[in-house]
Amino acid sequence: MRKTCLAILLLSLSASVLAASNDPPSKDWTGFYTLSRDKELAPLGLKNVNMDLDKTIVAHLQPWAKAKMEATSGSADDTGAVCLPDGVFRNPPFAGRFLWLPTKDHITMVFHEINTAGVRRIYLNREHPRNLRPTWNGDAIGKWEGDTLVVDTIGFNDKSWLMSAMEPHTEETHMIERMRIVKDGAYFEIVTVVEDRHALTSAYTYTRYYKKQKDEITENICGDAIDIWKDWRNQALKPQLDRARQVK
Amino acid sequence: MPTFRFSLAMLLAAVAASSVAAQTKTPPDLTGVYEIVSDKTVLPGGLKNLGSPAGVPLAPAAKDQMKSVDVKTDPARHCQPVGPFRMTARQENKIELIPATNGTIVMLFEDLSRGVMRTIYMARGHRADLGPLWMGDSIGKWEGDTLVIDTNSFGDQTWLNEEGAQHSDAFHLIERIRPILNGKYLEYKVTAEDPKALTKPYTYTRYYERSKTEIAQDNCREDGE
Repeated sequence: MRKTCLAILLLSLSASVLAASNDPPSKDWTGFYTLSRDKELAPLGLKNVNMDLDKTIVAHLQPWAKAKMEATSGSADDTGAVCLPDGVFRNPPFAGRFLWLPTKDHITMVFHEINTAGVRRIYLNREHPRNLRPTWNGDAIGKWEGDTLVVDTIGFNDKSWLMSAMEPHTEETHMIERMRIVKDGAYFEIVTVVEDRHALTSAYTYTRYYKKQKDEITENICGDAIDIWKDWRNQALKPQLDRARQVK
Repeated sequence: MPTFRFSLAMLLAAVAASSVAAQTKTPPDLTGVYEIVSDKTVLPGGLKNLGSPAGVPLAPAAKDQMKSVDVKTDPARHCQPVGPFRMTARQENKIELIPATNGTIVMLFEDLSRGVMRTIYMARGHRADLGPLWMGDSIGKWEGDTLVIDTNSFGDQTWLNEEGAQHSDAFHLIERIRPILNGKYLEYKVTAEDPKALTKPYTYTRYYERSKTEIAQDNCREDGE
């Protein structure tokens, strides 16, 4: 009798876990989100983790990767500085403005810096294809775990940098993000883990919060004023490069 | 006579009801990926692509201006956005339509560098505070099963065609998009108006086939174009 009860309990528990893992949350996440600063988050009991991400990443670089980082010539090697794609690692933790657009079988993330960070599509009903062609933003698949979307991304090319200090990575890079909305939908939390057995000594992680905006997403064409953009990127990049290179 | 009045009243009521029904009918779900059909394709009913941006009737001053344009500076050649009028006619164009729950319909292009993204606002009029835009300010409404998009606020960054014809800040587009043949295709008609650059409004038509393929990451410059 006790065995039967236990079996029924286990069955019902596993059924509820299965149901939870397959169902998207009832709340609609659609919207435009922008990165929140800690000053705004502190009263809410929230905090961005590893805000100085360059420092975190440099501490995890393998010797060859650190040597390559030091050998880069800053913005000259920065594809984003000339409005080319620069991958999906740098934008979300630093600039972090995106549109979240769910459909039945995938979610589309459109970054405000659309020329450089581009568009990510997170597929919900399939696995990673075999023989992936490496791309700037990789191949992203998502699974629901209760109210959290777990996004697994592989298939990156090795042309982008992990952050602004030009930390390299390889095509083996694997990114796992746990995404959920908090504070009754007012904030979007992303906890990211990045691993790359060929470029990093171990995985690094960071957390960011994005606030849902009422404003419309504005048109943002990088080439609109390419010289101004390039100058800005140079100015913004230099202190980060200098700082990262001092990390031992 | 009373019978005639009664019949007229019934007729008017029926017309009004059907008109209201047409307006309140649930609009079709356009969500999905669509790929342009080639100019050689003829769909059932003899439907096929008609016209092209090359056919715009330029005003004399715009014709003169075009002669001084170096086609090597065409935004399309430099992976810059070409604007909705040219983009939707481009060969091999692939789009994704995402009706969002925030009162917009988002149109994304596989050729992201040239097409970028369009946001069509379904719940507001044109904003007067927007500067000149590459994609313009687009508002939409449903007329039965047809999505009608009205776009203005264009800047001078984009061209009318690859021959170098330029539009002015008075450039205005009206697009009509509707599903046809049981939703297997989209019919896209665009009318361009520009009283400063065109002698009259110009319309072209394209057909798009619903696709089951995913949108690829297509980086124009990477392909060396």
